[in-house]
Amino acid sequence: MLLEATEGEETVVFKAAAASVQVLVEPVGRWFEAYIRRRNRNVSASFQELEDEEESSEESEDEELQLEEHPMLRTLDPKDWKNQDHYAVLGLPHLRYKATQKQIKAAHKAIVLKHHPDKRKAAGEQIVEGDNDYFTCITKAIEILSDPVKRRAFDSVDPTFDNSVPSKSEGKENFFEVFAPVFERNARWSSKKHGPSLGTMDSTFEEVDNFYSFWYNFDSWREFSYLDEEEKEKAECRDERRWIEKQNRASRAQRKKEEMNRIRTLVDTAYSCDPRIKKFKEEEKARKEAEKKAKAEAKRKEQEEKERAKQAELEVARIAKEKEEEEARQAALQAKKEKEIQKKAMKKERQRLRTTCKNWNYFADNEADSVKMMEEVEKLCDRLELTSLQSLNEILASASKEDSKAAVEKQVEEVNAQLQKEREAEVQARQAARSAEQASGGGGGGKGWNEEDLQLLIKAVNLFPAGTNSRWEVIANYMNLHSSSGMKRTAKDVINKAKNLQKLDPLQKDEINKKAYEKFKKEHTSVPPSIDNALPSERFEASGSDGNAAPWTTEEQKLLEQALKTYPVSTPERWEKIAAAVPGRSKKDCMKRYKELVEMVKAKKAAQEQVAAKNKK
Amino acid sequence: MAAIGIHFGYTCACVAVFKDGRADVVANDAGDRVTPAVVGFRDTEQIVGIAAKQGQVRNAANTVVKVKQVLGRRFDDPVTQTHKAETKCQVVDKEQRPYYALSCGERAELVAPEDVAKLIFRKMKETAQSALGSDVTDCVITVPFEFAHAQKRALREAAEAAGFHVLRMIHEPAAALLAYNVGQDYSSGSSHVLVYKLGGTSLSVTVLQTNGGMIRVLSTRTDHSIGGESFTQALAQHLASEFKRTFKHDVSRNPRALLKLMNSADMAKHSLSSLGSANCFVDSLHDGVDFECSVSRARFELLCSSLFNRSIQPIRALLEEAGLSATDINTVVLCGGSSRIPRLQQMIREMFPDVELLNSSPPDEVIAVGAAIQAGLLVGRDGLGPDDESVAVDVCAADILLKELDEAGAETFRVLVPQGTPLPARRHHSLSAEGKMASLCLEIYQRLDGEQPERLSKMVVRGLPPSEERRRVDAVITMKRDGSFHLSCAANDDGRSEAVTIAAAS
Repeated sequence: MLLEATEGEETVVFKAAAASVQVLVEPVGRWFEAYIRRRNRNVSASFQELEDEEESSEESEDEELQLEEHPMLRTLDPKDWKNQDHYAVLGLPHLRYKATQKQIKAAHKAIVLKHHPDKRKAAGEQIVEGDNDYFTCITKAIEILSDPVKRRAFDSVDPTFDNSVPSKSEGKENFFEVFAPVFERNARWSSKKHGPSLGTMDSTFEEVDNFYSFWYNFDSWREFSYLDEEEKEKAECRDERRWIEKQNRASRAQRKKEEMNRIRTLVDTAYSCDPRIKKFKEEEKARKEAEKKAKAEAKRKEQEEKERAKQAELEVARIAKEKEEEEARQAALQAKKEKEIQKKAMKKERQRLRTTCKNWNYFADNEADSVKMMEEVEKLCDRLELTSLQSLNEILASASKEDSKAAVEKQVEEVNAQLQKEREAEVQARQAARSAEQASGGGGGGKGWNEEDLQLLIKAVNLFPAGTNSRWEVIANYMNLHSSSGMKRTAKDVINKAKNLQKLDPLQKDEINKKAYEKFKKEHTSVPPSIDNALPSERFEASGSDGNAAPWTTEEQKLLEQALKTYPVSTPERWEKIAAAVPGRSKKDCMKRYKELVEMVKAKKAAQEQVAAKNKK
Repeated sequence: MAAIGIHFGYTCACVAVFKDGRADVVANDAGDRVTPAVVGFRDTEQIVGIAAKQGQVRNAANTVVKVKQVLGRRFDDPVTQTHKAETKCQVVDKEQRPYYALSCGERAELVAPEDVAKLIFRKMKETAQSALGSDVTDCVITVPFEFAHAQKRALREAAEAAGFHVLRMIHEPAAALLAYNVGQDYSSGSSHVLVYKLGGTSLSVTVLQTNGGMIRVLSTRTDHSIGGESFTQALAQHLASEFKRTFKHDVSRNPRALLKLMNSADMAKHSLSSLGSANCFVDSLHDGVDFECSVSRARFELLCSSLFNRSIQPIRALLEEAGLSATDINTVVLCGGSSRIPRLQQMIREMFPDVELLNSSPPDEVIAVGAAIQAGLLVGRDGLGPDDESVAVDVCAADILLKELDEAGAETFRVLVPQGTPLPARRHHSLSAEGKMASLCLEIYQRLDGEQPERLSKMVVRGLPPSEERRRVDAVITMKRDGSFHLSCAANDDGRSEAVTIAAAS
């Protein structure tokens, strides 16, 4: 029960209401969903306003339905229903394809109420019997328009639709006025709703591009089944039906093609007339031109910049070089000067030392001592450095004879010790060098050249004589291929080694050969016992001790062979003669060598035989 | 459009489908409407459901139960450790995550809890599809209120791995409300609902406030130490002692016998919810001795009385925490299989003597049904706004009141907009006044929590023609999101109206 107001009271607001607060709620339920949807739509207006709006919009839809009665309705021929305007029959000529299904139904209902034969009969009108009454037209109209497929077919051939396409000359002058309504009209055929509009002169490139790409890829729903000459339903048999269908399909396709051509022509015309396209093209051209220019400019600038940088660099380099040269010259001059000064000082000091020593008569009493001392002093002068010479001179100048002598002798001793040390170092270095050489030459050492490899190297060098294409690489390859040591060698290694080998004295070469041979023998010890002749070799070793143990050089070998040929076995005192033919070799040496050779030949033969036997096997 | 709602519990899972405007629970291939969330790993296959639960007696080490407890938890989590101690499977640590070390035939396998959940979800999907006859992927999954983000994510990932498209994850108590259509009335005022959920291993009690179709959790309390299994345990112990008394055999050292006893006790417990007494019969329980025993409901209640008390206890504590008394609760919703126990229902009823106790639909299915209803609301809707988390909405901060006189002539207040109404809101009230009065005065007050009403505005309507009848006055209050509101009232007979707009304090 509400209260009654007392006198003088007015509507008044005392205080503001408390502000809303936020709380967490569970995301469930339809009211929650509705709330979230509202919130996502970001409705700023209050809830009520929104609801009111929805209501009013619904109402307006209902109100708008106004029927315009077809003036010729009563005179329509039901047989000619195909040519009638169904929208006009239903009283919707103003809405046409925009009419909703609801509106069509409502219109139909209204018109049926008015024109139904029963109604008219009741009103005392004369009704034509059967299907010939104009009411059939109404039935046909609703039949077509209530079925979406049939309605689409009818809409496609809407008699009020203007199929015309403006010509180029028309469009050139006032493009927007001419084309805007045409495009708007044709947009109704689009399968996609809300295509882009033609826009205005100020439309952006994207908008225009979007517009033309829409129209060039126009997806039309317009189809021409309504205009079919024959009706499929009328066919009496399947074959006829098929024939009709084929006929219809052909004509539909033809019409569709025409329609697409029409749209295409329209868009082409518009495109060619569109002042914006022209503008964009010009802009594009200008832009390109500008770009080109800018590019060229940039290139030129870059070139210039490069040139300048190069110049600057050259300049800097030149200056630096000059400076360097100058400095070097200065330094050289300075050094020279200093050297000269030093030299002068040295000379002076040496002279001083000599004179002092002379003055002291070389601290000796007899002649021999003084000569020796003189030599020592000379040595001192040679060896001592400026500072020590100076200090020595000072000592000499200030001290007595005995002291001076002691000092000089001490100095001499030092110098001698130094000399000795130097000499030792030299000897040592020489020894080290020799041993290193031996190590590298003797095989098996540092670089991993063992006899086998050496042998291989020699073989390879002989195999690939000078003049072979990239000889040393080939040799190195050969070595790597055949070496059993598994060491990889480069051409450089090989060259070094070969040079080294050339440098080696023949003695060493022979040694290598001998070693190789020994190795060979060792390898073949297991083979034929026929060549196992330890006895002669033993004897050689026994006798070889007093002969020239040096290996045989090639010349000697040649001489020996020659001699062996000249003095056949039957020659008396053959070995003496042979020895005489080989200079530097005794009879024993020759014999030993001969035995060796025989041995070698034998071994070779045996090996060959073995190989042959093996092959036979 | 059909959609699925899934309740994935600690012991059981239940699936409901929303089709043709109604949500129904789907029975699985074994004919049960609730599927035990048990997965048995065998040599060549993984078995989900009742078969796995029965197979547990033989295959305890390779049967995963209560996987929800470790889902999305780290290995060093105390809950994981408890689970590890309780379960008969081996739980190992791998990259800080718990994994089940199972032996499927010869090969040992590490199975993630998510994969176990995935298998259960797949089973649920198969069940739903067998009922729908088509492939449906859209689903809503319920989660306990205390689930942390990582656990929710793990659950969601498991569902997605099973081929579901998770529309939303909602809280279990909210789903229960939805199933009973509680608080789903837009214009109803604020009311308080208590959701009592006693599941297999956990008890959770939640107080919710519903207002304007929105549900808001006020307070919640969870106890993982009590649940249906505790009752079964108590009953099984009783049975074991009976067995010992009759046959002088101690079964406590025989794990298989204990499991058999547990299964038997479980069945007995279920039948005791509807019958006065139940028979337990176990073939060859121990040493080839068959065991038979009859348990009366009274016996069972006696055995579990302390447990029942413990189950009821949290309600009082919760109400205290929320600052409400038992009379403030308008509705009590029961869910979870164990709330079927008649004694428990009786105890709750005693606690809330004049409150509607909602237990008409099977309590272990209620949550799934709610989820399915929610799925039905969401399916086919694109741009689903909020994801599983609670959403903040603007609500009215104070009760908006109108001063009136009651029959006896004393001043009372009528609540025009209750506190907590989601904004914007519009409420319509029909007021009445004495016909002989020529003027009306509407005094508007607001009342913040526990404070005295303070006057906001006074609206005066004058020049009413006197009449014999009682005058009807329509008042419409429209409140905007910021809390400002507009009140307009019109007398029915001559249409005289008056309006006032009250701004919100900023």
